[in-house]
Amino acid sequence: MVLIKFNRIYNFLNNTSMTSQLKYFKRFDVLALALVFVTSSCSLDIDESDSLITPESSGSFTGVEDPEAQVNEIFNAIRGNLEAQDNYFAMQEVSTDELLVPTRGTDWGDNGIWRTLHAHTWTPSHAYVLNVWNQFNQEIFRASEVIDSRSNGSATDVAQARFARAYSMFIIMDNYGQVPFREPDAAADVNPSVLTRTEAYNMIIADLTSALPDLPASGPGVGADRPTKASANFLLAKAYLNAHVYNGSGAASAADMQEVVDAVDAIEDDGFALQAGYFDLFTDAIDTETIWFVTASTGNNIWNGLHYNQTSSDNEGGGWNGFTTLSEFYDLFEGDPSTNNVGDGQEERRGWVPDGSNADATNLGIGFGFLVGQQWGSTGYDDDGVPTGFEALNDRPGNPLVFTKELPGLVGNNERNGIRVIKYHPVNGAFAGHKIIFRYSDAHLMRAEAMLRMGGSATAEVNELRAIRGANALGGVAESDLLDERGRELYIEYWRRNDLVRFGQFTKNWSFKDGGSVGDVNRNLYPIPSNALLSNPNLVQNEGY
Amino acid sequence: MKQLLLSMLFVLIGGIVLAQNRTVTGRITDDDSGEGLPGVSVAIKGTTSGTVTDIDGSFSISVSDDQTLVITYVGFTTQEIPVQSRSVIDVSMAPDISELSEVVIVGYGQTTIRDATGAVAAVSSKDFNGGVISSPEQLIQGKTAGVQITSTSGAPGAGVQLRIRGTNSVRSNNNPLFVVDGVPLAGDETTAATSNVGFGTNGSSNPLNFLDPNDIESVSILKDASSAAIYGSRAANGVVFITTKKGKGSGSLEFSSSTSISRAANKYDLLGVSEGPYFLSAVGQFGGEPAAQDFGYDNDWQDVVTRTAVSHKQNLSYSKAAEALSYRASFGYENQKGIIENSGMERITGRFNANKSFLNDDLNIALQSTLSRVNLESAPIGGSAGFRGDLLGSAYSANPTWPRDPNFDTGGQLSPANMLANFRSNANTNRVLVNLTADYTIAEGLGAKLTLGLDKSKGETIALSTPEARNFDRGTQGNGRGGFNEINVDNNLVEFSLNYTKELGPGKLDMVAGYSYQSFSRDGLNAEGWGFSNYTSGDFEGMENDLVGAIETLDGLAANAANGFYQQFGAGGDLRNGAETSGGFVNVLTSENIATNFFAAPGLNVSSITGDRFDFKDKLQSGFARANYSISEKYLFTGTVRVDGSSRFGENERTGVFPSGAFAWIASEEGFMPDFFNTLKFRTGYGKVGNQDGLGFGNFVRRERYGAISIGDGGEINIPGTSSVALANNDLKWEETTQFSLGVDFAVFDDRLSGSVDYYRKETTDLILKLNAAQPAPNPFIFRNFDATVENQGWEVALNFDAIRSDNVNFSISGNVSRNKNEIQDFGGQIPAGTIRGQGLSQAFSQILAEGQPLFSYFVREFAGFDAEGQPIRDNQTFVGKSALPVWNSGFSLNLNVGDWDLSAYFAGQFGHYIYNNTKNAFFTAGAIANGRNVTTDVLTSGESGTAEAAVSERFLESGDFVRLQNVAIGYNVPVSSGGVFNRLRVYANAQNLFLITDYSGLDPEVSSSPAQGDLLNELPTAGIDYTSYVRPRTFTIGLNATF
Repeated sequence: MVLIKFNRIYNFLNNTSMTSQLKYFKRFDVLALALVFVTSSCSLDIDESDSLITPESSGSFTGVEDPEAQVNEIFNAIRGNLEAQDNYFAMQEVSTDELLVPTRGTDWGDNGIWRTLHAHTWTPSHAYVLNVWNQFNQEIFRASEVIDSRSNGSATDVAQARFARAYSMFIIMDNYGQVPFREPDAAADVNPSVLTRTEAYNMIIADLTSALPDLPASGPGVGADRPTKASANFLLAKAYLNAHVYNGSGAASAADMQEVVDAVDAIEDDGFALQAGYFDLFTDAIDTETIWFVTASTGNNIWNGLHYNQTSSDNEGGGWNGFTTLSEFYDLFEGDPSTNNVGDGQEERRGWVPDGSNADATNLGIGFGFLVGQQWGSTGYDDDGVPTGFEALNDRPGNPLVFTKELPGLVGNNERNGIRVIKYHPVNGAFAGHKIIFRYSDAHLMRAEAMLRMGGSATAEVNELRAIRGANALGGVAESDLLDERGRELYIEYWRRNDLVRFGQFTKNWSFKDGGSVGDVNRNLYPIPSNALLSNPNLVQNEGY
Repeated sequence: MKQLLLSMLFVLIGGIVLAQNRTVTGRITDDDSGEGLPGVSVAIKGTTSGTVTDIDGSFSISVSDDQTLVITYVGFTTQEIPVQSRSVIDVSMAPDISELSEVVIVGYGQTTIRDATGAVAAVSSKDFNGGVISSPEQLIQGKTAGVQITSTSGAPGAGVQLRIRGTNSVRSNNNPLFVVDGVPLAGDETTAATSNVGFGTNGSSNPLNFLDPNDIESVSILKDASSAAIYGSRAANGVVFITTKKGKGSGSLEFSSSTSISRAANKYDLLGVSEGPYFLSAVGQFGGEPAAQDFGYDNDWQDVVTRTAVSHKQNLSYSKAAEALSYRASFGYENQKGIIENSGMERITGRFNANKSFLNDDLNIALQSTLSRVNLESAPIGGSAGFRGDLLGSAYSANPTWPRDPNFDTGGQLSPANMLANFRSNANTNRVLVNLTADYTIAEGLGAKLTLGLDKSKGETIALSTPEARNFDRGTQGNGRGGFNEINVDNNLVEFSLNYTKELGPGKLDMVAGYSYQSFSRDGLNAEGWGFSNYTSGDFEGMENDLVGAIETLDGLAANAANGFYQQFGAGGDLRNGAETSGGFVNVLTSENIATNFFAAPGLNVSSITGDRFDFKDKLQSGFARANYSISEKYLFTGTVRVDGSSRFGENERTGVFPSGAFAWIASEEGFMPDFFNTLKFRTGYGKVGNQDGLGFGNFVRRERYGAISIGDGGEINIPGTSSVALANNDLKWEETTQFSLGVDFAVFDDRLSGSVDYYRKETTDLILKLNAAQPAPNPFIFRNFDATVENQGWEVALNFDAIRSDNVNFSISGNVSRNKNEIQDFGGQIPAGTIRGQGLSQAFSQILAEGQPLFSYFVREFAGFDAEGQPIRDNQTFVGKSALPVWNSGFSLNLNVGDWDLSAYFAGQFGHYIYNNTKNAFFTAGAIANGRNVTTDVLTSGESGTAEAAVSERFLESGDFVRLQNVAIGYNVPVSSGGVFNRLRVYANAQNLFLITDYSGLDPEVSSSPAQGDLLNELPTAGIDYTSYVRPRTFTIGLNATF
């Protein structure tokens, strides 16, 4: 193009003598040839050197290149989402009466992100509200790509993808009340359609039902880091148990509750059962309760509450001194209300705090469950990581490290305020890669609740569990007792918000909740993140935000 | 019209044919040096005939007695000489001292400031800043109106931000296009990224630091779109040309050498041990137990981590211009020590420039080549350091009673002594830049030029944190962590252009048109290792060998197991995903094979190893043309167009067209203008330029890749699977900036007062943003062109006044000031940016991108003091009407010459912007001293309670206004005898950063903490955030230049 233009200009301007013109043109042609040679080799197509490029234009989808590898990445991502102490975990636990993250002087202010969760004053721009939306919706899309028949995934790949989609969609539906959906075909500029809560619920049930036959029927044991029939049944039970919340009817239907009972029975048939030794469950040893775990580190859950001076050989830097519980939650447990040392009359699940008499290498001086009062710890570690001795700890400014039951508020705390909660223990290592997501005792309590909601009694099932945990039997179990029992058994296991909403208690008052939010039923759903609203005009903001 | 042009042509051509000829010869020499000047235009007035001088300045031309020769050479005063009866005409040319006659490179050609139609500027080597200079931008800092140059830190080799007429783009690199001797450089870094081995990441070093400032002849800047549009899609931020020195003279050897001493220019006033206010009593004041915090020593940790640094540099060059070959060869060595321990830069450069003429001077072949090696050593300082901070943060907050023993147990805090002993980061980059041009005169006035450019580099960075490191992030303590990053860059340029000059009608036409193809390849490996069980104290070399050895071993095994190319590998005792443990794995990614293969990992000295390869190639294909038409040297017209095709876009938007037009009127050439004006010129121009920098490789197609790989804090490796990394989007397109500009150049009082005034208005649209994808999508973010506008509007004034101009004494004052107003318009969303880091500041940010605000607008809590309990009285986070972008930018220079002495001083100032003092927010609060961390003395009396939260607040937002005496130099030209050893000998002394006037309470307001892109909130760049920035040095240099 450029050349032709130049030939013309040249011709036009140099019509002096024919001979010289010819001479010049000869020279010119050599250069022209060189240029043609150079340009002919230049293509602007993108090279497939770094990644595999789907050759189609936008809007058509021919399947993922390797469905199995994509399923791996989906479960990698889900593990990552569940590993963190913030985002999903915080939205399910810090927003409840189980946990809060008090601001301690300059520590843990974090732009108010923890305080607004606990106080129920979050807004559509809350970072966790956005992150969880992005994280789990992203897995829904990746799973949809694998499920699409054009990907030619194996039956196992597709079943696992269906479970992953159902689990991710359950989280979006449960937290946000509506679920955007994009077909794998859709180009980047297509605005995803939006499923109502009921539509999403139906899709979850359908995915799980169709995944069930192709999932393995493994019982308790290794390999439970990928979904089995029991995991699918567990999630089915969760969905059915909450159906009356999702469909807005307000009252559980007997049919749904029977589905819960059947699903839990199926899990039991696969060999899962309650197991004694509460704190032994939260290790990587094989047990009969773990239905689904992720190979995530447990360090976040261990260290987020422990004080800086509480250490282990794999973390001599110590804890992060953040998360605590409320005294009213601690008071749900039987036992001495002010101390939690051995022999204080507590049930097993409240745990215990070592003192000078029993701080040793099996506990590193760090307690189990609820840590209140004077804390002990190791004086140091030798080259083999063995503690060199134990001492009553001080905080960083030099005061005795006594965890208090009460807190002055969400801000203005010192290093010692608040009861700490741990289930995974540092003595088992922070990197054991075994974080439980679905546990049989939850299923057991779900069945009990279904029976109660069908008009039957949950007392026997609840007391069966309590007996194993060394707690006194209850005379009778009302709804509120069941909620409390779920709290005692399943604290900091991601379910507190879901439970409180189902029992209508998420809106009740608790310490440091903002007065204006008490009784606000709109808080039962998180808002659609403001960035998501911008990106997709099909979304409509939830009421009250 | 065509008819008219044709007939005019015939008249002109007729004139040539009719001329009555005889031959006149002569030689044109430089008045200053007496040497012949090659390439001088010798034209016959009123005709198109003419010639140029050869390599020693000689010419020969056919003329008649009544004609007049017009001798022109850029940079020299034009002379008109009637031929009369002479047969030999020797001419001695004097340099044109007027600022307006300065030569400026305009891309595919050169002109003078006087003849340019656009807003252009040039700075030649005599005006360069002196002292310790890491990179070429610093040579011209403050010399040009509308050009803001900021070093991001005081670290040797640190990145430099150069903004021409404001900030256009939201997320892109806002640096201009750099063109070195005609080769446009890729804006990407050539130094390999640094792995996070405990302190976050830094946006890496300056890609231009491979050039030795001694080799640079001049720097030209195209500021407006009308001039820059010839570079089309890469010109949105202006264009900067760097021209290196060529062979000249009859053969001279030049040696320059300098030595510098640098110290930290400023330090914080921290609590002391033996001097009050006392640290221990302050601990008590805030509720702590002083005895528990007393470890018995007395250290000001700032003194421990900083040092007096001695740097030196040497450059030796030989230069010669001759018929056979003109060339210049140089060798430079520079060793810059950082004022912080364990930091520095070493640069070794070799340059060879040569040119030779063939075929009766019709063909000129030129070679420009640089070979360089840059070694960078970095201290443990990170723009995204975690809540414990980095080396500087720990030096500010460390308990002053701690011992300097690196193994001292601080109980959770970082110890500066431990960090210095247990961290090393070394980066080295080898780079070759070669450019070969062939210039061929096809016919009179018609030339062709072929340019081949090659820019190849290999960078390697190794960062190590030893197992003895304490409280480093990422599971380092007891294990050690190392990062190995490699990047190979291979950019090739082929360019062909034709230029044509012709007297046409009443004026002169000057055209250039061409074709250019440039490819940009980047590939490399990012690898890391964890668990160095063989480490013995202090043996970094052994640790490095263990790391590199393990990576090489696994790389080979992985290639074997993959049977060819692969993307990732890893090995370790804890492979997650139910894979075989104690094994190695390789993730193969080719169109034929996607699989995770396992292999038996051999015994290695590193417990866990991962590696991930990348390989990007971008291409740019362009056609360009420019026409200048000048009538009577009064009316100047310029039109340019560039058409760019880029491989970063899909079919729909692959090609961008970038036109521009400009007009200038040299009013002083008009007869009716009073002689008072030596020059008076009005310019106006309009153009459209593009930017694609904010968009990475392949974001317009659906691509699949294995996910990110890393080693967890406990050495565990999660084996990634595949996923989509981008969605197809064929509508992605260039960011576009249109600019209107208006300017006046003038010189009065016999050229003694000259200057220019400019106004401009720029609009950048189709902003490339990484926006939240409408979920569900494979990614949380997606690249999209956003329908918003960034507007920059401003004006510039530059003045130069030769106050004294005499034989023995010259004194000149020059200054420039510019004002820029920046605003984002038509933007629907709000995107948080400007992460604030520190204890209790996770998720904290200080800026929001929003409609009606300038970029980098602060969004913080208003601060109304402390209440009676010492808690901050606070409000919601809100816009406070302050931005990090300076409104006013100015430079002011004084130059005095007295005989053989010369003295110069240069002041720089920026005004109207605000700095977020993140260092103070993170470290200097009552909460910090309450926890036993050292603070500045003012904290004790601030009224703040030890339990108060230090949230992001207006309290830490301070005016960034400053005036700095950047450079003072005094030089003496030692008189040399004509037969002596030296032809010329100059000695000089120079001081940099001598003083700073500012109200800013931090160490220096000229800051910009700059983490790597992945650590930026929403990947938006930051500005104005001071988080433990590398202290700026005060430097004294003495040196000499000798010519033999």
